[in-house]
Amino acid sequence: MAGDVVVPGLEGAPAELRSALRRLLLGLADTKRLLGIRYSDWLLGAPSIEAGIAASSMAQDEWGHARLLYAALRDFGDDPVELEHAREPEGYLSWGPLDEDADDWAGVVASMLVLDGVLTEALSGIAEGRYEPLEGRITKMLAEEEFHASLATAWFRRLAGSEEGRARLRAATEVILEGALLGAAPGDDSHERLAAEGLTLGAGELRGRMADRLDPLLSLIGLSVPTGAGLPADWDEARGRGPGAPPFDSIERARGDRNRALFVE
Amino acid sequence: MDARPDNPDAMLVELLHEVLDPELPISLVDLGLIYGARLEGEVAHVDLTFTATACPCMEFIREDVRDRLELESWIDAVEIREVWDPPWTRDRISERGRRRLRTLGVGV
Repeated sequence: MAGDVVVPGLEGAPAELRSALRRLLLGLADTKRLLGIRYSDWLLGAPSIEAGIAASSMAQDEWGHARLLYAALRDFGDDPVELEHAREPEGYLSWGPLDEDADDWAGVVASMLVLDGVLTEALSGIAEGRYEPLEGRITKMLAEEEFHASLATAWFRRLAGSEEGRARLRAATEVILEGALLGAAPGDDSHERLAAEGLTLGAGELRGRMADRLDPLLSLIGLSVPTGAGLPADWDEARGRGPGAPPFDSIERARGDRNRALFVE
Repeated sequence: MDARPDNPDAMLVELLHEVLDPELPISLVDLGLIYGARLEGEVAHVDLTFTATACPCMEFIREDVRDRLELESWIDAVEIREVWDPPWTRDRISERGRRRLRTLGVGV
């Protein structure tokens, strides 16, 4: 029951609750890290130089957010440097849709709207909860995300204006939608434990907010946020995602393998 | 050798007025990045934020703060704490900083 646990830093909280919050925060951090790589892949491949510059800016933001979240995990006994530079792909808790590259700009736009939007709702859910150490950091992240949301809306509407654009957006969105919703609002025991303690919102409420956010645009391509189909049979509760892992070359870049000798920390 | 000032905390802020942002030619204080400065013993503690979560100049700014403060003989070490609450917004830029930026054609 909410209120049984002394929050702000979760001192004295049951190990299961600390573990659940660590999973949530690490999943958000890793997803932002990988989303930043997706954006960076399109700096020079976007349909316009302005769009490429925007992708660059968003990549920078996502890595900044990931860095702040990794730093916050110090309170859970993690070493942020190790989290950023020393894990194998199987240790990442990034959401399933980022296990594959985006095929085209429509895939990037779908990611901007759906993955980034759902991440933002998940962060908002934490900010509204009782876990105080992240409040200021999340406020800053949400402010930076406003630009991402504006850009996503503009590009989604633009691409949805043509039959070809709608077809590509729909194909790309179908690939990532359920995986993104599951990542942010899995509704498994770990997630609902956090919701019960007021540390995030329950899966039903989060899905409702995601529908409010996404459906006006998804309707342009004949899709909507599903109300929740339950967890897949191969759901990995410990990792908060399905099976698989992000591609090794992305992790090499995330870890900075080629620059290991030049690290400044 | 410089003597320890009567009001070291205020002097720390004065000294930080000499540290410019690497991208904008106004001081970290006028840009609103300094959230606090105090001397404890001979250690200067500076609470510092950044304009963005992935500001590319973070390390330069930290080094510049350290380099300037460590020039003072009454400061033995500098401890910098990264702060994000409250988040930085343009509202934190001082009036002097705004005037300076406007003369450079930067709208704030």
